[in-house]
Amino acid sequence: MAGERPCLARLLSLIERQPQVEADVRQALASHAPQAVVIGVTGPPGAGKSTLISALLSLSTASFGKTAVLAVDPSSPFSGGALLGDRVRMQNHGLGDAVFIRSMASKGENGGLARTTATAIQVLDACGWPLILLETLGIGQVELDVMDLATVVTVVLNPGWGDTFQANKAGLTEAGDIFVINKADKPGAEQTRADLQDSLSLLQSPVPIDIFETVAVTKEGLETLWLGIEAYLKTASEIGLIVKKLASRRQRLLLRTIQRDIEARLQAYWASDRGRAQVQRVLAGDRTLEALQADFFIQLHPQPHSERSS
Amino acid sequence: MTQNPTDKPVTCTSGIELKPFYTAADIPEQHRPHVNVAPGEAPYHRGFHPSGYRSKPWRIFQLSGFGKPEDENERIKFLLKNGETGFIMEHDRNTADHCYNVNHPDVVARREDVGLSGAVMQSVRDTAICMDGLPVDTSFGHAGGAVVQHAPFALAAYWTVAKQRGFDLSTISGTGQSDFNLTYLGCVTKEQIPTQAGLRFNADIMEFCHQHLPRWVPVSIAGYNAADTGLTPDQELGVLFANAVEYLDEIQRRGNMSLVEAARGCGGVSFRASIHIIEEACKMRAARLMWNQLLRERYNITDPKVGNLRIHCVTAGSKMTYQQPLNNIVRGTVMALGAILGGVQSLGVSGYDEALSIPSEHAHQMSLRIQQILQEETGIADVTDPLGGSFYVETLTAQLIEKAWAFFDAIQQQGGYLATLDSGWLHAQAGENQYQEFMKTESGEQKVIGVNCFKDDESPFNVDGFMGTDDAFDVATERLNDVLRTRHEHGAARALKQLEADCRTDKNIMPAMMDALAAEVTLGEIGDVYRDVFGNWNTPIQT
Amino acid sequence: MDNAQKRILMAKTGLDGHWRGPTIVARALRDAGFEVIMIGMAKTDDIVRSAIDEDVDLVGLNVGGHIDVAIRAIENVQKARPDLPIFAGGTIPPYAAKQLEALGVEVYPPGSQLTDIVDAAERLTGRT
Repeated sequence: MAGERPCLARLLSLIERQPQVEADVRQALASHAPQAVVIGVTGPPGAGKSTLISALLSLSTASFGKTAVLAVDPSSPFSGGALLGDRVRMQNHGLGDAVFIRSMASKGENGGLARTTATAIQVLDACGWPLILLETLGIGQVELDVMDLATVVTVVLNPGWGDTFQANKAGLTEAGDIFVINKADKPGAEQTRADLQDSLSLLQSPVPIDIFETVAVTKEGLETLWLGIEAYLKTASEIGLIVKKLASRRQRLLLRTIQRDIEARLQAYWASDRGRAQVQRVLAGDRTLEALQADFFIQLHPQPHSERSS
Repeated sequence: MTQNPTDKPVTCTSGIELKPFYTAADIPEQHRPHVNVAPGEAPYHRGFHPSGYRSKPWRIFQLSGFGKPEDENERIKFLLKNGETGFIMEHDRNTADHCYNVNHPDVVARREDVGLSGAVMQSVRDTAICMDGLPVDTSFGHAGGAVVQHAPFALAAYWTVAKQRGFDLSTISGTGQSDFNLTYLGCVTKEQIPTQAGLRFNADIMEFCHQHLPRWVPVSIAGYNAADTGLTPDQELGVLFANAVEYLDEIQRRGNMSLVEAARGCGGVSFRASIHIIEEACKMRAARLMWNQLLRERYNITDPKVGNLRIHCVTAGSKMTYQQPLNNIVRGTVMALGAILGGVQSLGVSGYDEALSIPSEHAHQMSLRIQQILQEETGIADVTDPLGGSFYVETLTAQLIEKAWAFFDAIQQQGGYLATLDSGWLHAQAGENQYQEFMKTESGEQKVIGVNCFKDDESPFNVDGFMGTDDAFDVATERLNDVLRTRHEHGAARALKQLEADCRTDKNIMPAMMDALAAEVTLGEIGDVYRDVFGNWNTPIQT
Repeated sequence: MDNAQKRILMAKTGLDGHWRGPTIVARALRDAGFEVIMIGMAKTDDIVRSAIDEDVDLVGLNVGGHIDVAIRAIENVQKARPDLPIFAGGTIPPYAAKQLEALGVEVYPPGSQLTDIVDAAERLTGRT
């Protein structure tokens, strides 16, 4: 696929705005084997994800030649708009065209990603971007779609994290392949490491899960972290983990796509005259739920030459 | 305010409700005993000297600077000739704020801005040009170290030149600034040292001055930038004293210098003078009382000489409108009056073209004339604390004090002033206030003449905005190359290494800084050391 | 919510860190349904690159200081994306405003109504 930059940028916009374009692109890329490494960076707000990504760019670009960053921020539930603001910290990379930064608004999706993030990643991959840093907000189990899309998930926390996010701990600890305690110069880093190690030991991970300490604003610990990420990628690929994950990712994407299609059609059915009539009849006790479901499925795939009595 | 129905509450900027009129019964009980004291008596809200401006008029002190060091030198001399009684050496902000040399890519990308807001001074040679022929010994010089990370360089440059000129450092008077509210709150730079490192710098400066420059005011806590960023007068007071506490506590922790001396060094502060002039005058009165209360209750210092709070004031730049700029002459005059009624010790009036650019020569002159007319023609300087005893003023002063302490307490509860900068809490307060104020102007609820009402006006002449000179960047580049080429490289390298070593330990950095300036180390080289040693402050907001 | 997918790039051309004005404008635009991408104090190269990579529908520049700095950024953005509208606010004296307008840039000096700025954004991104 031609890699002209403005075209890439425009395509990413079209995918977001026109579902048909997204569908066409997914179709076109269906047989394209994913090659890009996707490093998911997630964690609670204020953890320092953007600063960390910013500091990693020179290391990642030295390793991979170029780096794309996809940064997802929440949309306002009131206006549908979004402030995609943390780009400020990323601008100082000084690496010129070797870095491609793209902001996406989540548009009401609950998983921490935009609906079209998966396709955006496919496009970047197909356009020859070997490494994609995917930044999302991760607070709890609802925001962990990043797991499905990333080759390696980096969870960024701060000292004292264990105290405030009790209910969500399980979600984040399950999601991460690598953990980073950022702002490690603040008190409580050791305790947080201990807490984390306790939680992680309960999981059964085929690959050891490392915990790194960084102070992103002074770049302390960044090189060690990057080496750790590269080591993870190597080990995981050696035991075939990455291939397995990519395969399961493609499967999950497929499933997700079908789910969305069905959801959309269900909404359409529900709003249609026929659908509304059926629902009223069920509510009046005049028809069973099973019959309603059956009617919906018929609408999904009408049999030619078949007239079902209603 | 002419259409305000009498049943809608009227508040001042601090949110305190104002009555249509006041009587003695309105004065809060705890404040009543203070009303009838004389200036020079505790609790000092009326001032520290009974003779007030009769014995010492306020200093006319205007910010001035642009272009090459020689251009700034010329403008300072112009102002001194026209009646200014102190001078402020403003550094170019593109280089100074970030401690970059002119060849830094971020500066080169904006080369036309270089020299716009101050002269480029990258080495002691530039500072020498800027200070040429200035009355260092008889005038009160502000060395231009407004930005915390830049201050050690600016001060050391000034003092090194003074030394080279044969002045005895122990006799010269002047001031530094090192204002946290400037780059950590109001005008957040792309990168700067973390707040803790900044505190270290300021304490180092205080200790160094104590030893070597006893007549120099080492730091000047500034409320101006807190206020112009959105904090209300009560919050401006609270923040200023919370800032002072950080310095005093740090000095106390170090144990190298007496707290009394440190407090004396902290006693030169600055405030903004905005346009609700009675409230602003009350703010100054409140400040004097609060300073003494803080010293007494928190640090057990009761020496009235130490409690002598010297206030420098600058009129609110953000109140100057872009539309119908000549109206701003009135605004400047009125805000200056508020400051004078509050009994400040020195005053700078914003130029009428502030919303368009840096002051033109005419606007600068206008600012001087405003002060001179107030000083000489109005009789306002004849009586100390003329508003004292007014039922309204005494009530509002007391109410401001209470609200200010509440804000101070809120800051302390979060771990202190630096903590509220690091967390972005102060920014959130300021931002919210700004937003409210903006909305009031937008809706017309707050009338601003010429902006949202009475918009059609024929100006007698065009006010176009002054753009400085256009050779500042080129000359600065040449001079940078000159210094790097002709200085004694070995000595400079050694001095820079020593400075870095001292930065890494907790030694006072000022002696090494003085040596570095004398060895002609440049600003950008020093900035690089800072970035390497201290890293970058994690800004809590988008800039 | 027609604005929901219109993207606006906001950048400052100078090295001046005042943040209140741009923040108020950014929030108003967000509240009007725009996706606002803020890159802060940015050099011409960075502004152009972001304008391309983020495929924005409008560029908003906060300008102060010497107008040539802004003009350089504007001309480069226009070269890279000729159809991309640009509007500017900040400390812009009248003679400088004229220069920007001559380049096709709409200027909103201090005292401009926020509703005018939001309306302009809607108009320039093809909403109304």
